[in-house]
Order: sequence, then C-alpha cells, then structure tokens
Amino acid sequence: MIERDDGIPIITLASVTKRYPHDIVALDDITLSLEKGEFCFLTGPSGSGKSTLLKLLYFAEQPTSGDIFIEGINIKTIKEAHKPIFRRKIGVVFQDFKLLQDRNVFDNVALALEVVGFSHDQIAYRVNKVLESLGLGGKGRRFPQELSGGEQQRVAIARAIVNRPPIILADEPTGNLDSVRTMEVLDIMDELNARGTTILFATHDERLFEGTRRRVVRLRDGRMEVGY
Amino acid sequence: MNLETLVRRALKDIRQHMAMYALTTMVVTLSILIFLFFSLIYVNLHHFASRFGTQLGVVVYLKEGINEELIPKIYNELLAINGVKNVVYISQEEAFKRLERYLGDEKMVLEGVDATFLPDSFEVKVEKALFQPERLRVIADKIKKIEGVDKVQYGREWVQRLEVFTGIARNVVVASGILLLFTAAFVVSITIRLNVYARQEELEILRLVGATNGFIEGPFLMEAMLQGLLGAGIAIVLLYASYLNVSSGLLMPGFIKGLKLVFLPWELVVLVVGLSMVLCLLGTHFSMRKFLRS
Repeated sequence: MIERDDGIPIITLASVTKRYPHDIVALDDITLSLEKGEFCFLTGPSGSGKSTLLKLLYFAEQPTSGDIFIEGINIKTIKEAHKPIFRRKIGVVFQDFKLLQDRNVFDNVALALEVVGFSHDQIAYRVNKVLESLGLGGKGRRFPQELSGGEQQRVAIARAIVNRPPIILADEPTGNLDSVRTMEVLDIMDELNARGTTILFATHDERLFEGTRRRVVRLRDGRMEVGY
Repeated sequence: MNLETLVRRALKDIRQHMAMYALTTMVVTLSILIFLFFSLIYVNLHHFASRFGTQLGVVVYLKEGINEELIPKIYNELLAINGVKNVVYISQEEAFKRLERYLGDEKMVLEGVDATFLPDSFEVKVEKALFQPERLRVIADKIKKIEGVDKVQYGREWVQRLEVFTGIARNVVVASGILLLFTAAFVVSITIRLNVYARQEELEILRLVGATNGFIEGPFLMEAMLQGLLGAGIAIVLLYASYLNVSSGLLMPGFIKGLKLVFLPWELVVLVVGLSMVLCLLGTHFSMRKFLRS
C-alpha cells in the first residue's frame, strides 16, 4: 500500500472482489489508492466494472471480499446508522443526472443541504452561490425538464458539491452530452480538483484524457489492466 | 431535524404528490367506510334486538291458596337470582283484569267467574335475554326450586330456536367484521406500498446525498399518520351524514313508530381513527424498510 509523508490515501481498495449471484465477477482482486487531491480517470469498456467500483465507494454495494478505506477508515467498521453521515463526504454525479423532476433546480440542489440540517438562510446562500459559480444563476426556479442536458448535469454537479465533499465520484457524467458540454463538465471538474477535491472520473471515452497528464486506471472484465 | 422542519417537509411532499396522496386517502376512506357501514348496521340491529329482548321473560305461577306471607319472600328470592332484571307481582285480581282486557267485547264469558280461579304469578324480566337465551333456561330451573312455586313458563322451544339463531348470527357478524377489517388493512397497505414504490427514485437520491433513515422516513410517516386521520375522519363524517339523512327519513309519519336509529358508540369511532392511523403508519414503515437498508 502506498503511504506518503503527507498523509494516508483518501481512498484505498485492498484486494477488493465483487461477485454477483450466478458467479458473475464484476471486480476481481482490485488494489488501488487515491491520494488527497488526485484526479484519476477510471476507464474501460462497458461492463468492465467501472460503475461497480464506484458503487462500492458510495456504499450502494458491498464488496464480496477485500477492504475499502476512506480517509483511512475501513468502511466495514462503520455502523449502519453512521453510513449516511459518512456518505456526505462523497459527492456523486451520474450519466442520467438523477434529478427529481418534480422539484425545481434550487430544491434539487438544496436537498443535499437539508439532509445535513442547514438552516433556511444558509441553504439559500450556499445554493445560490454554487448555482452562480456553475453558470446557473437565475435558473433556480426552473424545472429539470426545462433545461438542456448540459445544464441538468451542472445542476447534478451543484448538488454533489454544495456541501463541499472532499471526494467526487463521477460515473460517465458526460455520456449524454455533446462535445462542448463535455468540455464544460471537464473544466468544472478541473476547477474543483484545483481547489483540492479528489476526483474519480469513470468514462469509456478515451478522448477525455488523451493528452492530459492525469492518472488513468483501466479495467477490463473486472480486472485492473494498468495502474500505477 | 426538528418538528417544524418535519411538518414543513411533509406538507411540501403532500403538495408535490397531491394526486397520489388524494387517491391513497380515498382508498383509506372507502375501506374504512365499508367497515363502518357494516358496524353501523350491526349496532342498530343489536339495538333493536335488545329493545325487543326486554319483552322476553319468565312467568312464575304460584301454588293455589298460597300463604300470602310467602309472597314477599318469593319476590326477594326471585330478585336475588343472578341475571334477573326486574320482577313484577301479578295478583289474581290483576290477572283477571288483564284477561278481561284481552277478551275485549267478549268478556261476558267471564261473567259469574271468580278471580280466584287464576293463580297468583310473577313476571320475571331477564337481562340480555335475546343474546343469551340460555340464561332463561338456567333462571327458570332455579325458580322451580323456590318454595311455593307451581309452574314456570318461558317458551322452551322458542328459546331453543332463538339460541341457535343468535349463535349463528353472532358468528356471522364476527367473521364478516374480521374479514372486512383484514380486507381494509390489505387494500390500504398495498396502496401505500405502490405509493412508496412510485417514489423509489426520490428515496435513492435522498440516500445518495447522505440522508439518514430517520430523515427519509420522517415525512413519510407524518404523511401516513395524517392520511389515516383524514381517511378515517372523512369516512366517519360521510357515515354520520347518511345516518342523519336516514334517521330524519324514518321520522316521517306513517313509518314504524318508535323506530329510532343509533350511531356508532364514540369508543368505536375513536378506536377506528386510531387503528386507521396505526395501519397507515405501519404500512408505510414496512414498505419503506426495503429501501432503507444500505
């Protein structure tokens, strides 16, 4: 395991295997560490295990074997009742945005703060600020279906980052977007990363990291191909 | 999360899912209304039957030429029997007068006949005789043993038939009531489950942003309780309105005199409201449990 002087890795997977019923192996003996403030691409064809790996990290699934550490804490040791609170350290962005269609933009983003128990005024301040910073100022009262795909994804990102989590997991966040919107999302992620947020960005689109000097982890049939 | 936030979120939720909420509440209302309607009919039948039942009793004939001093003693002994509601002494003269009244225009057949040919008697009224006809027999058997008693009459065959009938009626009523209650509970919990399933995505998103189970479940439970209260409340109001309507219809001249409807006892009303709330609460809780497991 990689240990650096500046502290423990923010995410560590140690020999993690995930098997589904009927002996389907989604992840096979994955060992991987992410340092604080790292921006890492996770790539591979569909069905290679990218989404499963992210699901393990945001507690939607549990590994069949192996250990996962977040900020040095083995998530197996976290009590069921504390998991939701721990999950707040992680913002998640999806390909299909997962916005509530019957709530407006403001309420969708505010949800992440209501859950934490922020006051009315604090929520209004923070939500408006984050919407402004993502170019969504003035769109708070719109409903998701009134927005373009790119705008909806920015709302989803706003919801993921509004309570300033140290980790962002992105699962094919640009899968439904054209190349201009894709670049917008990448720029936002870059900016968040520059402010110290650790980002794990899953995509099958190789063009996104061509020419960048970011780290790329490749998965194929649940196994890691290249890592470092 | 404080109560104010909880109520605010629940009300906002209801506003956002108004159609669904109204529909579920309607199902609750209808289910409870069917049960209450059945109960109302039962309560009224019971009411009529108990009024009619007070006419039921035992007639006790005393031996001829009985020592008059014995009569108050027998009276007290009769009153002391468990289940006896009241006892009326019918003297020979009183019995004679009754017979005259009964014969009406043909009372001349009694001319020259002395009242003493009729025995002294007691009329014994028995509590809840209609619902427990077997009491009549037990009491009659006890009366027979009293000194000075000649004959006891209580319509043995009739009572036996009544016994069988009330036994069946009681079983039918209890079984139907239980079946209706189960049906109502089942329909309500299925409807609630569909409601929760329809909001599955919302539950997932709430979990994703780190909501605790309590935070997710709180408003749902609040809504469910309100739903139970509203559903039962509307059902009771509807039932009461139709009760008043039918009652006033019965007051019209020419209809059976003395026929008066009664409404459900308030204890049952309170119980139904409480049960309805608990039912909605549990239904919601168990429907959500599946989604709240991490």
